[in-house]
Amino acid sequence: MSGAARAGRRLFWLVPLALLPVPLALNPYQQFVADLVLMYVPVAIGFNVVIGNLGLFAFSNVAYFGIGAYASGILMAKAGLPWWITVLPAGLAGCGAGVLTAVPALRGVRLFYLAIMTLAFGELMRWSYIRAEALTGGSMGLALPRALLFGWPLDDARKFYVFLALAVILVIATERLLCSRFGRAFMAIRGNEVAAAAMGIPTGRFIVIGFAWSGFVVGVAGAMYAALIGHLSPDSFNLSELVLEFAIIMVGGVGSQLGSVLGAAVLTALPQLFMSWPGSEELAFGLLLILVILFLPRGLASLLARWHPIFRDRYLLEE
Amino acid sequence: MPALLELAEVSVHFGGVAAVDRVSLSLAPGEIAALIGPNGAGKTTLFNAIAGNAPVSSGTIRFRGEAIENRSPHDIAQLGIRRTFQNGGLFPDLSVIENVLAGLHTEIASGFLGLLFTAGPSRRSEREAAARARALLERMGIGALAEQSAGGLSGGQQRMVEILRAVAPMPPLLLLDEPAVGLAPPARAALATLVRRLARENGIGVLLIEHAIELVMQLADRVVVLSDGAKVADGAPQAVRADRAVLEAYLGHA
Amino acid sequence: MLLQLVVSGIANGMLYALIALSMTLVYRATTVLNFGHGDMATAGAYAGFVLVGAGLPFIAAFALALGLLFAAGFLVQRFLLRPIMRAPHFALATMALAVGYALRGAARLRWGSEIVNLPRPYPQGAFMLGPVVVTNDALVITAAVLVLFVLMLLLFRATRLGRIIRAVFQTERGAALVGINVPLFHGLMWGAGGALAAAGGVLLAMIVPLTPDMGEWVLVRGFAAMTLGGFGSLPGAIAGGVLLGVSEEVLGFYVSTVFTDITAYLVTILVLLIRPRGLFGRQALARV
Repeated sequence: MSGAARAGRRLFWLVPLALLPVPLALNPYQQFVADLVLMYVPVAIGFNVVIGNLGLFAFSNVAYFGIGAYASGILMAKAGLPWWITVLPAGLAGCGAGVLTAVPALRGVRLFYLAIMTLAFGELMRWSYIRAEALTGGSMGLALPRALLFGWPLDDARKFYVFLALAVILVIATERLLCSRFGRAFMAIRGNEVAAAAMGIPTGRFIVIGFAWSGFVVGVAGAMYAALIGHLSPDSFNLSELVLEFAIIMVGGVGSQLGSVLGAAVLTALPQLFMSWPGSEELAFGLLLILVILFLPRGLASLLARWHPIFRDRYLLEE
Repeated sequence: MPALLELAEVSVHFGGVAAVDRVSLSLAPGEIAALIGPNGAGKTTLFNAIAGNAPVSSGTIRFRGEAIENRSPHDIAQLGIRRTFQNGGLFPDLSVIENVLAGLHTEIASGFLGLLFTAGPSRRSEREAAARARALLERMGIGALAEQSAGGLSGGQQRMVEILRAVAPMPPLLLLDEPAVGLAPPARAALATLVRRLARENGIGVLLIEHAIELVMQLADRVVVLSDGAKVADGAPQAVRADRAVLEAYLGHA
Repeated sequence: MLLQLVVSGIANGMLYALIALSMTLVYRATTVLNFGHGDMATAGAYAGFVLVGAGLPFIAAFALALGLLFAAGFLVQRFLLRPIMRAPHFALATMALAVGYALRGAARLRWGSEIVNLPRPYPQGAFMLGPVVVTNDALVITAAVLVLFVLMLLLFRATRLGRIIRAVFQTERGAALVGINVPLFHGLMWGAGGALAAAGGVLLAMIVPLTPDMGEWVLVRGFAAMTLGGFGSLPGAIAGGVLLGVSEEVLGFYVSTVFTDITAYLVTILVLLIRPRGLFGRQALARV
């Protein structure tokens, strides 16, 4: 990549900077939506690591999301911890779940077998949220205390900055991971597992690493959910939510960091264009997903990449 | 000088069939040996056995004195054996340079925490590897292809990239499975020059499966002939060419 | 007591068996697993609900609902799946999911907040069969599913269409060579899958409240039954379904009530980890 192009990639830093004044211009509802977009960025990024980079059909993203959200929520509601302290534990809980779901993949379970297995895992988690009433409030859900950052209550505008910081950190961290031998190892495993091993890549270890990172990132997003929504319900982490996450990464571009951001932005902000009767979003997203699969299978990021190589995903570090 | 690679009565059985039947051979550092024989003779299976991709039913394989039969492929690769695949083993969604960098995986000292939290040694190691990969591509005349997606290359170009990917870490032992297929004469010449230089200047042992007889005669220090899984001849190229048994092996499979 | 549990379990099991069988049919025919199957079942149930509400006698409504979902399955395969047949597996699975998602959204849009129940065309009640209690629901469902199975068996074995189906299942390329229209076959199989999904949906909706999210429940249990019986095996789907239904009841009573809910999840996870082939599965998972 030429020096000019490399300098160009540094321009991506301008994006978060440009977003800083945004809360000043939004009404409360729009502010909520903006926070929602920022929350979905790490959800998509984590999902993309497993589906897009590792190429494994793990349908467990919603499980990591829910586990992170409930970890954060339970620590807040039952242990009285302020929100900001629960963020890391939520990530670690998601990470643990990630490692757990990596086990079948390590044993060679692939394709749709892995898909239905991880789906069953997600349902099992959802069932446990309902059953563990004392901890989770059961099917009625769990009402959470106000999110606090170092004792400072977070309204939606302040959440924007906190979420922006978290999203930026996670994007950068994932980028560092992908633009390294780790990212290449993931893509190698996806492309040709046998050849990957022939390069000296211990595929099992890297599968676990990929899942662990994915679970961590999405677990942190779960903590963001707890802060933003303020109420946890098992039904929020069901198959519908999983399909929404699929829609985000497919519309954005599977395996693409840029795609994660685009997909989160488009699919979270778009519904606000029309009245949100219950079900209309699902119908619209279902149709959108169908159209994307038929006509733009590599997502919006692929359009941008075709337009200018600076938008191409990279898995190496130069400069 | 101790042998780089030593096979002793290696057999590979699939079901009741011996795909490789008590083959013994040895390779010295810096030696180029060609493995030839009719289709189905067990050449690729032998490669698979050495590289850990096929189970060895009996016999031993020693690499630098260490027994490696039935170890996992990535262990064997880490010990210093690299290979290419008959049907192509490039990573289609990575660019050419990223593919070569994948070959350098074991040479890069970047750790998980190092990458995420520091700006230091991990990232430096990555940059150095990238520079090394780029230099290799330039030296072989395909620097312009570096950013191109590997999946979009022509067959001949893909083969070349796969070879460079195996060569990049300067492995003591190189297994090349039909490297010249799909290569036009200029590229074949470049390949031959590369292999000869790697063996002579860097002491890399090369075992190659090849059907192109001129290339074999030109490159190989030694020729090993397999037929129906068993070794039928092993010697200097000229001698093997004249060997009756070899002729029969090929004619018998015509 | 055990006998009672087994008998109760069989009724649920027959429903699972129907779902698993319809999913297996589609999978065997096109090697695509329909992740939207549960939502098609729900769609069929809503279709039945609308038709009955419009005044049609139950049998007619049932048949028409099956017909509608047959058409839906056929159209989905023809226009949404066939164009992307060469795409990576992921795209196909997601397409099926997307269709289901859209169906669910449409259902929620129309009936989201209402509690809907498909009225039974028979009186609720129970009777004694020897030492066990059998509910009318259990009897009707078991009978209905058995009838469908017998019809399918007859179709398979005794008709020309059945011979064609068996031929394609054995070797697609061979079937094409002898002039069978394989693409049409794929569409028809998806149609059949849709129709059978609708049958399952209607039967289910008679005994539980009908909600747009019913599909998720159906899908997971279908997968569990397929896994237990062995992926790709038609008799396995039936065996797996019945076994699942019975296990839920038996474990639910003797071990803990939690098992009525989670047996399906545990079966899916454990069988794939320990014996991926299931009971009657044909080939082992492709290991790397």
